[in-house]
Amino acid sequence: MIALSVDVLEKTFAGAIRWLLRGRRGASITRGEVLRQLYQIGNRSLLFVCVTLGFLGMVLVFQTCLQVNRITGDLSQVGAEFIKILVHEFGPSLTAMMLATRVGAGIAAEIGSMVVTEQIDALRMNGVDPVDYLIVPRFLASLVMTGALTTIGVGAAILMGALTAYYSFHLNPVVFLDPSHVRLGDLATGVMKCAAYGAAVPIVAGICGLAARGGSEGVGTATTRAVISASFVVILLDFFLSGFALFTFQRGGL
Amino acid sequence: MISFRGLKKSFAGKEVLRGVDLEVKRGEVLFIIGTSGVGKSVTIKHLVGLMRPDGGELWLDGARVDTLDERALYDVRKKCAMVFQHATLFDSMTLLENVALPLRKHRKLSERAAETEAMRYLEMVHMQSFAHSYPAELGDGTRKRAAIARALTVGPEYVLFDEPTTGLDPVSARRIDKLIRELADEQKMTSIVVSHDLTSIFSVADRVALLYRGVVHAVGTPAEIRASQDPVVQQFIHGRSDGPMETPGF
Repeated sequence: MIALSVDVLEKTFAGAIRWLLRGRRGASITRGEVLRQLYQIGNRSLLFVCVTLGFLGMVLVFQTCLQVNRITGDLSQVGAEFIKILVHEFGPSLTAMMLATRVGAGIAAEIGSMVVTEQIDALRMNGVDPVDYLIVPRFLASLVMTGALTTIGVGAAILMGALTAYYSFHLNPVVFLDPSHVRLGDLATGVMKCAAYGAAVPIVAGICGLAARGGSEGVGTATTRAVISASFVVILLDFFLSGFALFTFQRGGL
Repeated sequence: MISFRGLKKSFAGKEVLRGVDLEVKRGEVLFIIGTSGVGKSVTIKHLVGLMRPDGGELWLDGARVDTLDERALYDVRKKCAMVFQHATLFDSMTLLENVALPLRKHRKLSERAAETEAMRYLEMVHMQSFAHSYPAELGDGTRKRAAIARALTVGPEYVLFDEPTTGLDPVSARRIDKLIRELADEQKMTSIVVSHDLTSIFSVADRVALLYRGVVHAVGTPAEIRASQDPVVQQFIHGRSDGPMETPGF
């Protein structure tokens, strides 16, 4: 498993760089395949991410306003702090958790099925590297779409949060929609997390899929393992990247 | 020439191959037979690096292949093609695109040139009229023939067939048998066929090797195998349920 993980990591990054530098000539993957994966990972996750982050935005704002109302009664800073925490923490992490379940499971099931039906062996016999052909397009698409989905998801959460604050606590949306607390460091942290999660989810899911053994039971096990592992890796990355951001951006005054 | 020397392989502590010794001569059709789970497919997969042995050596035309890395194995796979048990055509591609894939990857042909060449191979297996169909639209026998065409595109000297007639109706199975025989007679291609289809074995094989308890238990021409007095051989070729043969899982 360790050897497989190292091999997949190395080939994925090398394949992605080769494709980005040389386009179609440099790798086994076609532009069409990357576009197909952009659609699969991005468009088909859009509703799921928007609904989840929208509801979470409603719940978070409602609970925060409720508590703040009991203590100080001043809700003017709730929106500004909510937007700040969404940008550097909740937006990227919750979107990645959603993608770990929807996209991670899909990748592991698809590749796992190909392993148990010998299609991966057939690819190798035809001179095609399975990592280059199957994981690199998903990796490139996930990198782009995690950022895009996070941006849209954060928008949905802010909108639903503003509506909740207005209808439940009569907080003026102009006061709520205050981005002044968001610093450059928050934006940099959010972008860094999106890139890390976008890279991690397809790689982890791909490794689990390639490690599938046996028949349909093996595919099921690989899919479960992919969801758990990808979610765990997102949480671990969140911990380390938040720590990194704390010691670099915030100490540097960003 | 292909040479398996003391090939060993275990899965989760269970010894499947315990020292397979077998030589395959150029131009012959060798059938590896044996009960399900005895390690027939495992044996041939080692030859093209789809599995790594725990012990023993594999030689192909005087060169050792079991120690090669994945990149070096690409050359072995050009020389030694494989037709899998389930055809393994890619569902998202038409038959023509499936057959053209190794031409683009192994022989580095352009997309257009690969498809022109692929059509020639489809004609060879009488499949040209299905070129633009998707695998899901076709029957098992048709898919198997397309898989054979795909395997032939790299111009192999050796072809490994993993249970080519399993799951096919008798007519399709005999067509596949005929194709394997034609490849040997007309194109001088060496074939190793994993099978337990007795009709195929006795109508196509030049030699037969019976795998039993992880080793080659008996090897010889179909006539020699038929005439063998060995009780294990007799039980297998007559398909008797009673006898000395142990079947994994029973």
